[in-house]
Amino acid sequence: MSSLSMLGNEQADATEEVTWEDQSRINAFSKYNKRLEDIEELLTDRKTEREQLDDLSMELELADEDAPVLYKLGDAFVSISLEKAQEQIEADGESLDSAIEELKSAADDCEKNMSELKVHLKSKFKDSINLDR
Amino acid sequence: MSKKLESNPRNIPAAPFVNDVVEYIGGQDAEVDSALKQFQEMAAKYRYMEISLLQKKKSLDVKIPDIKKTLAMVKHLNNNRESSNKTLFELHDTLYAEAELENTDVVYLWLGANTMLSYKIPEAIALLDNKLKLAETSYKNSNEDLEFIREQTTITDVNTARIWNFDVKRRREKREVEEK
Repeated sequence: MSSLSMLGNEQADATEEVTWEDQSRINAFSKYNKRLEDIEELLTDRKTEREQLDDLSMELELADEDAPVLYKLGDAFVSISLEKAQEQIEADGESLDSAIEELKSAADDCEKNMSELKVHLKSKFKDSINLDR
Repeated sequence: MSKKLESNPRNIPAAPFVNDVVEYIGGQDAEVDSALKQFQEMAAKYRYMEISLLQKKKSLDVKIPDIKKTLAMVKHLNNNRESSNKTLFELHDTLYAEAELENTDVVYLWLGANTMLSYKIPEAIALLDNKLKLAETSYKNSNEDLEFIREQTTITDVNTARIWNFDVKRRREKREVEEK
């Protein structure tokens, strides 16, 4: 709830009437702000996972080709061939990449919308509205 | 006058928007306390809903990866019927034991409430897939609800601020008149 301070202040200089349209813009801004926060959190997590996966595939490059790999599935480890493990890691990596792309474009959307809303709101309410994160 | 009084798909009521402060509190000289109190109560209700939804979301945050893990294991069993299945399974936090899985087409799924049920592997996959979908829908809905609640909270915040500011301004004007 940090983004939107109350309109006006003790001096009550905010004589500007708030219309439903303004209210909707404020709502949207607040919504995008929170959404962006969530997305950034997810994005950090996904990026860490991606790095771990990269480390893993680097590690497996050095592994003995004929020796099976113990791969963690759920709470247990199963022994599978190196080739299969690499395939699995590749597939996981791809799905992570597309997830990251999706999150990034969603974040861009939020930022774009927020800056548009900010222009509208700032021009009407000047300094009696606080739109920073 | 309030407007846009509706609710979202999960029946969370929308907060009324105050179009005109004077009209809302009922006249130029009407008191503001009851209106302020009303919005305060409303904000508390939304806060309460928000907390319970955040809890729900948190439990789904655990549940979804859990289902995914189980599903991955069952699929692995399904895809590796013929080959030998050497595994290390967890006995305790830091203790794993080796086990060789027999070729099987039945798995036991933990259903909660101290119950485990046996399923043929394809049935198990279908069941888990379905559970995963349900959990993901529920997660999406919780997110939508949270955004909706946030919007309503913003409305109540703005309403409160406007009524408050109206009152401050009115009092100041009164004082200025008296001083003259």
